[in-house]
Amino acid sequence: MSTTTLSAVTGQPPARDLTDGPTPGFGRALQAEWVKLRTVRSTGWTLLATFVLGAGLTILMCGLNADWLASPKADESPGSFITWGMMIAQICAVVLGALVVTSEYSTGMIRSTFAAVPTRGRVVAAKALLVSSVLFVVGTVTALVGYAGGNWFLDRAGIGMPLEGDVLRAMFGSGAFLAGIGLFTVAVGFILRHTAGTISAVLALMLILGNMVNLVPGTLGDWLVKLMPGNAGSAISTPVSFNPDVLGPWTGFGVFGLETAALLVLAWVLVRRRDA
Amino acid sequence: MIRAHALTKRFPGPDGDRVAVDGIDFVVEPGRVTGFLGPNGAGKSTTMRMILGLDAPTSGSVTVNGHRYAASPAPLREIGALLDAHAIHPGRSARDHLRWLAASNGIPTTRVGEVLEQVGLESVAGQRAGRFSLGMGQRLGIAASLLGDPPVIVLDEPVNGLDPEGIRWVRKLARELADEGRTVFISSHLMSEMALMADHLLVIGRGSILADCSMQQFMADHAASYVRIKAPALADAQTVLSGRGLDVSQVDAELRVGGLDAAGVGELLGASGVVLHELTLVRASLEDAFMTLTADSVEYHAHSGAPVLEGASR
Ligand SMILES: Nc1ncnc2c1ncn2[C@@H]1O[C@H](COP(=O)(O)OP(=O)(O)O)[C@@H](O)[C@H]1O
Ligand SMILES: [Mg+2]
Repeated sequence: MSTTTLSAVTGQPPARDLTDGPTPGFGRALQAEWVKLRTVRSTGWTLLATFVLGAGLTILMCGLNADWLASPKADESPGSFITWGMMIAQICAVVLGALVVTSEYSTGMIRSTFAAVPTRGRVVAAKALLVSSVLFVVGTVTALVGYAGGNWFLDRAGIGMPLEGDVLRAMFGSGAFLAGIGLFTVAVGFILRHTAGTISAVLALMLILGNMVNLVPGTLGDWLVKLMPGNAGSAISTPVSFNPDVLGPWTGFGVFGLETAALLVLAWVLVRRRDA
Repeated sequence: MIRAHALTKRFPGPDGDRVAVDGIDFVVEPGRVTGFLGPNGAGKSTTMRMILGLDAPTSGSVTVNGHRYAASPAPLREIGALLDAHAIHPGRSARDHLRWLAASNGIPTTRVGEVLEQVGLESVAGQRAGRFSLGMGQRLGIAASLLGDPPVIVLDEPVNGLDPEGIRWVRKLARELADEGRTVFISSHLMSEMALMADHLLVIGRGSILADCSMQQFMADHAASYVRIKAPALADAQTVLSGRGLDVSQVDAELRVGGLDAAGVGELLGASGVVLHELTLVRASLEDAFMTLTADSVEYHAHSGAPVLEGASR
């Protein structure tokens, strides 16, 4: 390895007045997080998996079930199938949201991050904004491609749906749901600071606990079903929900949004208070 | 300039709090290399993390250029640091690691290429950092610390994992940075390394400052030398030398004489007709001095009871 003399590159006198340069604010933190997001392979892979599983499984399920859905035997609505793949794609969103945060803790990178951006709330906000924006776009595109493919089969069976009303809402709703899941997981990631712990906690809460609360008897059980984040948040991502007991799409998403916001506040408080 | 005042850090443990840094005061001045020397577990990394605002002091304070680290509008342009942990994502290339750092503080991207060249990593800049050897990782960390061209540079154990050529390079770099008027603060657990690199020494043991003096002063105080004498008539020799007011002590079958060099001692005894079998100047090594100084504060002792330092076997 070569050693070059320093004077060639550090021509300026040290201890310069730092106010002459642009003062880095939230925009800089956001830019830094954007570079980070683009420069690890896991981002590309998880987004690709989101798309392939989300759109692919919707098309597959519509293709396999189109004739049955068109028959009088059907006890489900084709509207429940047109975004079917998003139920699986949400797992990829959880993985992305977790890795963006927890890989920094597992590698020690978080110290470089907080040394570069000591206003830690900016780091939380920048990660949250980026993850949710990317997932909103990818989720919406995934839903639209899934719709285009899936609806082709439904059309052939005579039960096609136009891209309007609840169907259109479900397209953007799929993006919004994935964005929300990403945010939710980012918050949990900052709270738990551990990759496997974060992914399993969120998936357990969304997928397993969300269904297990069905076993709780009475009105308490009914409300728990409605309020569990996965149940409340997912209604917006489908024209017709498989589960008739959940909250309406907008109410549910509002509840999910409040739950996510509460977790983000907790994450923000802990991140500022804890040693890095 | 770095200034610590009654800086204290306690970590909660299963059996009560553990004091990692115990109310220390120090000033790291610009224009010289200040060595932060202490055995493993002395509190060096914890102190440096507090300088960088990563760990909050339990009490006391530490400032960089007169203010808290977090109050800096562009911290990387004010203080550059290499931390003990890798603090690098293994899946990201060296260049990309520096790019996000530059972006975070509004540092021109041209600096990325400059520091990569400066640390000799330009040929592997596109490789993932996870493939780097320990030494290459250290070089990348040093590149990151130089990125913002900061007036204050903090390096935690920078020579760990470097080959001899790399160690020489760090030494030269530290010298150049200090000569440019920057504040250079470098930790190490190796006295021998500090002796070659530092102008000023801050010795820490069990969270307390044990010495804060120039390297020269430290050598004069701690690396004491004496003249060893073996002679058939040891008592005669002792009488002669004590008579001249020298500091003489007998250890086993030898005399130890302080305050005069070997030639002087030899001439004195020769003039008195004392026959000598041995006349040797014995110089205690700096490493010995450091071990003596920190013996009480070393956390981990070998079974023999001798203080053991991390990496001391090298
Ligand atoms: N995060 C932590 N939690 C608990 N104890 C810690 C933590 N970091 C350091 N310590 C303890 O503080 C002491 C000083 O550690 P450190 O600053 O790493 O020493 P050095 O860098 O001089 O080897 C050690 O006893 C270490 O075990
Ligand atoms: Mg250390």
